[in-house]
Amino acid sequence: MTALDPRYAWVRRLLVLAILLAVWEAAGRANMLNPLYAPSPSQIGSALVELFGDGRIWPHLEATFSAALGGLLLGIIVGILLGVVAALVPFIAELIEPVMTLLNAIPRVVLAPLFVIWFGIGLSSKVALSFILVAVLIFFSVFTGIRQIDRRLVERIVTLGGDRAALVRHVYLPSVAAWVLGSLKVAVGFAFTGACVGEFVAASRGLGYLLSFAQSTYNAALMMAIIVLILAVVLIIFSLAGRLEKHLLRWS
Amino acid sequence: MRVRNLTISYSGEPVLEGASLDVDEGRFVSLVGPSGSGKSSLLRALIGLQKPLAGSIKTGLSRSEIGILFQDDALLPWKTARDNVALGLTLNGTTRRAALDEAETWLDRLGLGGLGDRFPRKLSGGQRKRVALAQVLVMKPRLILMDEPFASLDAIVRARIVRDVVALVEREKISVLLVTHDLEEAISLSDAVYLLSQGPRAHVTQHYAVPIPRPRDPVRARMHPAFAPLYEKLWSDLSREVDYPRAVAA
Repeated sequence: MTALDPRYAWVRRLLVLAILLAVWEAAGRANMLNPLYAPSPSQIGSALVELFGDGRIWPHLEATFSAALGGLLLGIIVGILLGVVAALVPFIAELIEPVMTLLNAIPRVVLAPLFVIWFGIGLSSKVALSFILVAVLIFFSVFTGIRQIDRRLVERIVTLGGDRAALVRHVYLPSVAAWVLGSLKVAVGFAFTGACVGEFVAASRGLGYLLSFAQSTYNAALMMAIIVLILAVVLIIFSLAGRLEKHLLRWS
Repeated sequence: MRVRNLTISYSGEPVLEGASLDVDEGRFVSLVGPSGSGKSSLLRALIGLQKPLAGSIKTGLSRSEIGILFQDDALLPWKTARDNVALGLTLNGTTRRAALDEAETWLDRLGLGGLGDRFPRKLSGGQRKRVALAQVLVMKPRLILMDEPFASLDAIVRARIVRDVVALVEREKISVLLVTHDLEEAISLSDAVYLLSQGPRAHVTQHYAVPIPRPRDPVRARMHPAFAPLYEKLWSDLSREVDYPRAVAA
């Protein structure tokens, strides 16, 4: 079997995607697909162009981005703080760990309707849902990470004359940064999931709201256009997070 | 350094009981013994990583004058070789600029010139060991504790590093306490060798002077007339220590 050159994997993927789209388009134009259920790629493209062309999309993008990035930022900060405190103070760990384990075990998006009741249909309920999705992920990443920290590194700092502050600066903080960066891509996905699901449940703006609107009007082309848009947004942020991770973790 | 009646216990029965040994200034001393005789525990107690149950340790040195080399190099993976070497100096109050200059000097001295910007992952095992050694030597220690630091290296790299270490400690008159399983290494490097009994409740059973003159080449030292008889004696005493508990149990 001929070995594939990994450098051109993206070309092969792009080619397969192009073929699939062409087959899909051809099937649509040959009336083999019902556009009510499966609009052709060109119809989805038209819906996308229309969204951007009349500028309708911008307030929705702004709403989803605000909710996702707000939840992401808050989730990372709170997740790190709780993870560090729980890892260093056994009493706090006793209190927090079961709650986090429970939150981790359930599909946390079920909290969306509750957050709408608590925080209203505005931005806050979406930020809250993104936050809870991200915070639990980051908490476990930091909590388990600190508990499994390499004791040899701690002893190295101690034997070189370092105090507790030196340990935090030279061992704990870089370790925490590594674990958080390692979870960043998943966290970005969770943050957008939270924002979109929150908007889908109850909102007046946002990509999730647009999805809900498209569903209620049976507009499959609009629905797929929004899904493509969400995919594109998440892929761009994934790529940025990947570059940040690669740069900051260049030592690993 | 004077260690008297040192007892170390993790929980329950002591791993080491009443161990005494001396490391005089500028002397290279080795500690050998069966597995589980508390050799590493003794070193950890000397550096303050393990609180002894009883006994005394007198070094007459400040904390920064004692260095330790572990079997694992334990370099911080997120710091470059230069930053790893400079770390001890900055932790003890040297400015970062001066610490980095000094680190560069030691990297050059240990044959790592031009590798200062590399992260540990990008270094070979031998290079990482040299960085760890530079990290200790940059502090200008008067006493270095070594816990089988060369065990993980292949034979050629090991021979080269050991030769450099011996030359350095002889020139700088640094005292060394080396823990090792390797009797040949213990004799070829040391001025004195202590033998620990089988643990638990291990203690120093024998003390041997090594009559091989200095300056010393660790490879040629193995061909010195005093080497073979001392090796045989140590081997026989160590075997007895390993066999004795088995005989008692039987």
